[in-house]
Amino acid sequence: MTSRRAVLGGALGAVVAGAGGCGGSGRPVQVAVVWSGGELVRFREVVRQYPQPVDVVSTRNDIDAFLSARYRAGNQPDVAIVPQISLIADYARRGWLQPVPPEVTGRFADNWRAMLTVDGREYGAWVKAAHKSLVWYSPDRQGPPPDTWPAFVSLVRELAGAGRRAPLAIGAADGWVLTDWLENLLIGLAADGQYQGLVDGAEPWDGPLVRTALTELAAVWAIPGAFPDGIGRALITQQEESVIQVAEGRAAMVVEGDFVAATAERFRPAGATALTAARFPAGPRGRPLLVAGDAAMVFAGSRAGAELLEWLTRPESFRPWIAAGGYLSPNTLITPDAYGPAAARAAELSDPGGAPRFDLSDQLRGSLGGPDGLGSWKILQDFLAEVNRPGAVDRACRRLVRAAAQARREAGS
Amino acid sequence: MTRPARTRPAPARLLGETVVIDDVGPGRRSRAYPSGGFASLLLVPIALLLGGILLWPVGRTVQASLTGPDGRWVGLANFRIALAAEGTWEVLGRTVLWAAVVPVVVIALGYLLAASRRSGTLLLLAPMALPLVVTGVMFRLFYDPDPARGTGTAVLTALAGLFGVPAGAAPAWLGPDLITVALMSAFVWAWIGLPVVVFRAALDALPADLADAVRASGGGRLDVLRDALWRPLLRRTAAIVFALVALGTARAFDLILVMAPGSSLDEAANLAVRVWQTSGSATTGPAAALNTLWLVALGIGVVAAAAGGRQAWPPPAPAPAPARAAAERTRWPVRRALPVLVALLWAVPVLTLVATSLHSPREAAIRGWTAASLRLSSYREVLAQDEVLRSFLFTAALALSVTVLVIVVALPAGYALARLRPPGTSAAGALLVAASAVPVQVVAGPINEVLARVGLAGTSVGLGLVHVALGAPFAVLVLRNALADVPGARIRAARIAGRREWGVFWRTAPAAAPAIIAVAVLEFVQVWNDFVVGLLFGGSGTPLGLMVFGQTRQFVSNSGTLAAFALLASVPPLLVIVLARRQVIAGLVSGAVR
Repeated sequence: MTSRRAVLGGALGAVVAGAGGCGGSGRPVQVAVVWSGGELVRFREVVRQYPQPVDVVSTRNDIDAFLSARYRAGNQPDVAIVPQISLIADYARRGWLQPVPPEVTGRFADNWRAMLTVDGREYGAWVKAAHKSLVWYSPDRQGPPPDTWPAFVSLVRELAGAGRRAPLAIGAADGWVLTDWLENLLIGLAADGQYQGLVDGAEPWDGPLVRTALTELAAVWAIPGAFPDGIGRALITQQEESVIQVAEGRAAMVVEGDFVAATAERFRPAGATALTAARFPAGPRGRPLLVAGDAAMVFAGSRAGAELLEWLTRPESFRPWIAAGGYLSPNTLITPDAYGPAAARAAELSDPGGAPRFDLSDQLRGSLGGPDGLGSWKILQDFLAEVNRPGAVDRACRRLVRAAAQARREAGS
Repeated sequence: MTRPARTRPAPARLLGETVVIDDVGPGRRSRAYPSGGFASLLLVPIALLLGGILLWPVGRTVQASLTGPDGRWVGLANFRIALAAEGTWEVLGRTVLWAAVVPVVVIALGYLLAASRRSGTLLLLAPMALPLVVTGVMFRLFYDPDPARGTGTAVLTALAGLFGVPAGAAPAWLGPDLITVALMSAFVWAWIGLPVVVFRAALDALPADLADAVRASGGGRLDVLRDALWRPLLRRTAAIVFALVALGTARAFDLILVMAPGSSLDEAANLAVRVWQTSGSATTGPAAALNTLWLVALGIGVVAAAAGGRQAWPPPAPAPAPARAAAERTRWPVRRALPVLVALLWAVPVLTLVATSLHSPREAAIRGWTAASLRLSSYREVLAQDEVLRSFLFTAALALSVTVLVIVVALPAGYALARLRPPGTSAAGALLVAASAVPVQVVAGPINEVLARVGLAGTSVGLGLVHVALGAPFAVLVLRNALADVPGARIRAARIAGRREWGVFWRTAPAAAPAIIAVAVLEFVQVWNDFVVGLLFGGSGTPLGLMVFGQTRQFVSNSGTLAAFALLASVPPLLVIVLARRQVIAGLVSGAVR
């Protein structure tokens, strides 16, 4: 009787494989990514150059759930490209990944390699990177924003008071936009090691550092008229829409990474100058340099995946990203001048003296880091929602502490 | 005559023993089931499939919920941990709210529409043909917070303005307060076709003179409703529709993930979303406990439906309903206005989607779907990606082969259960009803264990087999009912012509052709529209549902291409449903429980 089932299965397999258009050359290499829209189109452009067929699955932000489910099922993709590098550490410790050979990791600056090193071995390679300490504005409408935090706050207050257009656009529907704001402030406030201490638990989530950063955030977010159509609307505005709001002149500035350029360019009104970026204003401890990136990991046992990763991290493979504008790579084989106007920002990324700090929420383990509706993403969204109410900072700190404790328990079990 | 003669064997007592008297041959018991071996043979494929891909995984999930990571019995500890976790009760409450509120709305609206007999059934049936991911995209665009793009928001702002609420202070559909209402509205939109079709068939089957009798004895409108409509038939029909819709609300998963912005996801999440997000698909511990709770709730629902709805599905109408009482029906102004209103409400989201797709992505984002300049550039952008074409081909091949396999597995089983009736037939029927209600997320982990053991994990064959196992129970039920209704003369002729049992089967099966078509169409549409199964079990090859979902991370900037892609993905299922609408309606009506 099993043979009957095998026959049925075989018939099904033959039909599916035959019509799937991938017969002959075998199974395509499968890559899971979190991108969609323009980024996804770009990545598909990249892998179209690859000699073998590549199957790209976009899982949006729930990539941890997706990869865990698929791994436990034994049908994990060959490669996964994630912004949450904490996942790479988690999976590597569980033995799900294969190490990346030095001839691939050697293409990146040491400080970037260190972030993907788990227990002395390297388990990932960077596909692209982002410079996230930027404030975008239209040079047609205003000069560059001030470079100290108090002056920035007064500018926001002044613009809001003038009432011509909202001073800030914010894509608060995407929790990572809010964590980026917080991280920029944290870096500007933190003494040596304090910022990284939040990751490994040495620095408390309700200590003076986080408290001050949240209070400073509230000083801007609570300004009446800070965002177009108010905070409720901001919370259902996605990141790309917030860029459109600035491009269209409904808001003056938007804080986000260099990838804003690609969206801004697509939605630039005829005759308008492209949006320009200034550095995020400095805090008492200096100018923050927040970086993030999408790192690729190869699941254990996948030769095809390892080959694809080697190819993906070649300088030529990055060309479509550069052509689109707004994407950087920490790949040292790509010289900064290849980026044209973004050359200066590209240089900062790999500059060891600039002390780049990696995105905090992407390093946080378990549900503390997000994604949608969970952990720090959701806590900051709720903080923004009630930023005008007394005690908002206290409540946010308490919830962060609780979420951190739960994440530790999850990691421990 | 309002009901056709049924050929289901009637129990009788003969010489003090219960026997089943068929119109062919001697009493069954006395023959000691000579066809028993053949019946088992016909039932083996489905038994293997359901046993391996549904029953064993269900048992494994329940077991995992009661044991610790080391496999030792821990009693209810996992349940306590799961329920103590932050937000679990809210999520459970919301899941129950969905299962309680949505069916009531669907039934009330569906009944009114069915009774008014004016709205085009096709318009209301079409939403059922759309992938739920596409419905999510459509309503996400409809409820976009910018009134220029989101018509739903424009309406809400205007309404709030009537009550003196300033434009900025009106609540947002996608905000935390209204997100569940917005999601439910999308769900009702998608599911309304089912109650309309079923209630209409039920009303057609009602004896017309009953209402006259109630009226003659001095009863008012309410008495007519209660004594002539509700009590004799509608109560049971409503019970079935309630159960079907309540079970269906578990599928709100797709809608929630697509529609809820990140900031509202926590307020929108139901059990399925929460388990998916937090359990990492682990099949052990508290996650298994949540899944078991879900199974228990579904079990209660199935039992309640079976108890309330036995014999409740109306038989297919024997003759077109006479135009009786048409004048009486149109007197009530609500009945006249409602279908028009509903037609409008049902058409506007579609219009939003179509119009958005006909703008360039830039126009759709900046000026909304009402802008004058129509372009096809969004479609061009979608079709320029060869992955889209590959995904179309893959999905088509998958849906077609699954459909063929479901028929191959379900037709013999349906025949065995309807005509050969081996011991345990009624238990098998109950089991099939239960099996068709199991949400796949609950048993995903153990299913993967099974697939891994037979070397099919992550393959298209494994994906297809899961689809077959999920679709087969419903198919067997429909085919069983259809084959049970085959006239006795036809069976007799088949018995005489076919020497062997196989011959009889081959000669009887064509009589169920309309039901086979209905099953095939529904199965094809279900696989085409799937998102969850592809998400959990897909390997090489990306099904369309997953492909559309992957595009929904950012809405406004991609609305044009997203709308175009969603529409393209909906064309095949819509086409199939429209072409086979008569069989589909008959299949739905004769459907699940009988």
